[in-house]
Amino acid sequence: MKTLSILATKVSASLLKIIGRGGSMPGSIGLKLDSNILSKLHFKGPVILVTGTNGKTSTANMIADLFQNAGYHVVTNRKGDNLKAGITTALLKNSSLSGTIKGSVCVLEVDELNVRHILPYLPVKAFVVNNFFRDQLDRAREMEQLIESIENVLPDYSGELILNGNDPNVVRLSLKAPKAHCTYFGLDQNQYSQSKTNEASEGKFCPVCGHKLRYDYYQYSHIGSFSCTNCDFKTPEIKYPLQNIDLEKETFYYQGKQIQSPYEGMYSMYNCAAVLAVKEVFQLDLDAAIQVFKNAPQPLGRNEHFTKDGLQCILNLVKNPTGANEVMKVIDKDNEDKVVCIVLNDHEQDGTDVSWIYDTFFEKICKDSTKKVVCTGTRAYDMALRIYYENYKGDIEVVEALDKALQASFKPRLKTYVIATYTALYPTRSTIVKEMGL
Amino acid sequence: MNYSINVCWMYHDIMDLYGDKGNMMVLKKRCEDRGIEFNLDTCGIQEEKDLSTYDLIFLGGGADKEQISLIPDLLSRKDNLQKAMDENTFILLICGGYQLFGQYYIAADGSKINGLGFYPYFTDTGEQGKRCIGNIVIDAKLDDLETKIIGFENHGGQTRNVNSPLGKVLRGCGNSFDAGYEGYYDGKILGTYLHGPLLPKNPEVADFVITKALQKRNRSFSYSDLDPIDNPFETKAREVLLQRFQVK
Repeated sequence: MKTLSILATKVSASLLKIIGRGGSMPGSIGLKLDSNILSKLHFKGPVILVTGTNGKTSTANMIADLFQNAGYHVVTNRKGDNLKAGITTALLKNSSLSGTIKGSVCVLEVDELNVRHILPYLPVKAFVVNNFFRDQLDRAREMEQLIESIENVLPDYSGELILNGNDPNVVRLSLKAPKAHCTYFGLDQNQYSQSKTNEASEGKFCPVCGHKLRYDYYQYSHIGSFSCTNCDFKTPEIKYPLQNIDLEKETFYYQGKQIQSPYEGMYSMYNCAAVLAVKEVFQLDLDAAIQVFKNAPQPLGRNEHFTKDGLQCILNLVKNPTGANEVMKVIDKDNEDKVVCIVLNDHEQDGTDVSWIYDTFFEKICKDSTKKVVCTGTRAYDMALRIYYENYKGDIEVVEALDKALQASFKPRLKTYVIATYTALYPTRSTIVKEMGL
Repeated sequence: MNYSINVCWMYHDIMDLYGDKGNMMVLKKRCEDRGIEFNLDTCGIQEEKDLSTYDLIFLGGGADKEQISLIPDLLSRKDNLQKAMDENTFILLICGGYQLFGQYYIAADGSKINGLGFYPYFTDTGEQGKRCIGNIVIDAKLDDLETKIIGFENHGGQTRNVNSPLGKVLRGCGNSFDAGYEGYYDGKILGTYLHGPLLPKNPEVADFVITKALQKRNRSFSYSDLDPIDNPFETKAREVLLQRFQVK
């Protein structure tokens, strides 16, 4: 059955490729034929899993590039197909019919809720966890259940745990993994660190004893330097923290060397920190990592700039309050007159519960320099109400059709920030390209 | 006459799941746009506050683990809450807050957590961790006001023995999978599982809550005394969703 399963996956993958499709369907077929197929594969090299709420695609891709630069043959699910079927597809496509994976390292991005289906069944050498935020709660249930689903597969795990030492929800995993060795990554206190926060919705209580957590400082959201007011749970020692962060220049210092980050924002610094921690664990060359940061591709719709005839448009994907707040900060920093267009959908992948827009600091965009807010998407009116109740003084327009909404946004010929939820991202992107005549 | 309402948001730093702060934003704007002074206070664990002095008390929902941390404090305020209700402080409860005014609730891990016990209803946990999740519309009756309430529910808790529900479920689950009814309303408290948050898309409910709060110190004030508000989005927001959910 194993050979048949692998064969079926490979055949369907190549057939789908011919008709221009791919995705996770081949793996689904393989899993139907043999549901234990993952544990029957042979692989001599290390498997590295990457998970977390935000930044797992960028981080996993950079880790894959890191190994590639260091001369490894990398097997990876680069397109972000991070559920069990997508991972199965990636592995079986790259294995022989007898089930030997052809490559010298596997770097796999894994959806948080799928870790339990993957980690126990592959020879995982390193498990990288970046952060846990509230994300599409209606799908992921409460975060507590999500973290527990990961904790439950850790007692027998004996590889390396590479954890964000500044996220208490991540650090707690170490307590459930007595056989694992832990390496922590994180950031030192810097000019942006704050002693108080109003944006943290997690990390208020100690996951060990339930007492309040105290923070020496926050980097963003609930990420920072914490300690329990009752027991000894606290930010662990981070051997090589990122230091002297400069968000304007997007640089940081690592072991005394100034390095350019490929992406904006504090949260991206943590992705870099995770990549560097992997470099330490596998004793790879620092230059290989620097090259990765230099050449990292800008993902579509992540602070993507479009310019034509003096009109500037900036597109951002928002998936959850924390990610959205980081986008709001970028818009807030910009004092130019501008228009903000928000495309809010409530399909399955966006999260069908849109109440998260009230956990997000949309007040940051409701200032005088924002001349107009255009709302569109399946929940356009919910968004308009959110802005209305913020006491926004400018124009709020609801335009149901996406192309007309973008036309209305571009009409004043001001810098236009477009914010789109997951299912809206690609349609919005192609409509921007069309309406701007790019 | 200059009106004002004094609101106490209990455990605002813990019970703030699913954008519940939006409810306070809506009450504030709908008061201030009418010249009604809106004073929002909060009450955290171990803070000394006489809850009976407020016109409105609001208690939202929290994640299981966080919610448990406030229960001893809440229970220690039982007499004070009773006094508040006796003296016509109106109480708005969402999700966890709603459950805690009943007999008890069973947490996701199976432990039984005693509530304030003001009402006979109690809350079991969903079988095999199943949750009521999705858009919900109910046909509600709030004294003389009949209105459809639109929201989003996401709760494992199955609340039973509700003798005075807020409304009849037109779409979604309600108090439990098979309940047919949602929430609790008896003139003194309004308890519901509806997030969304509740009030932005349900302006009539918002105005009803404002009326109830005003009545604490102004017995003769009525819903129709509130000036109309010109909000260009709320009617359409409701129409779009009621049409999508095929609720007439």
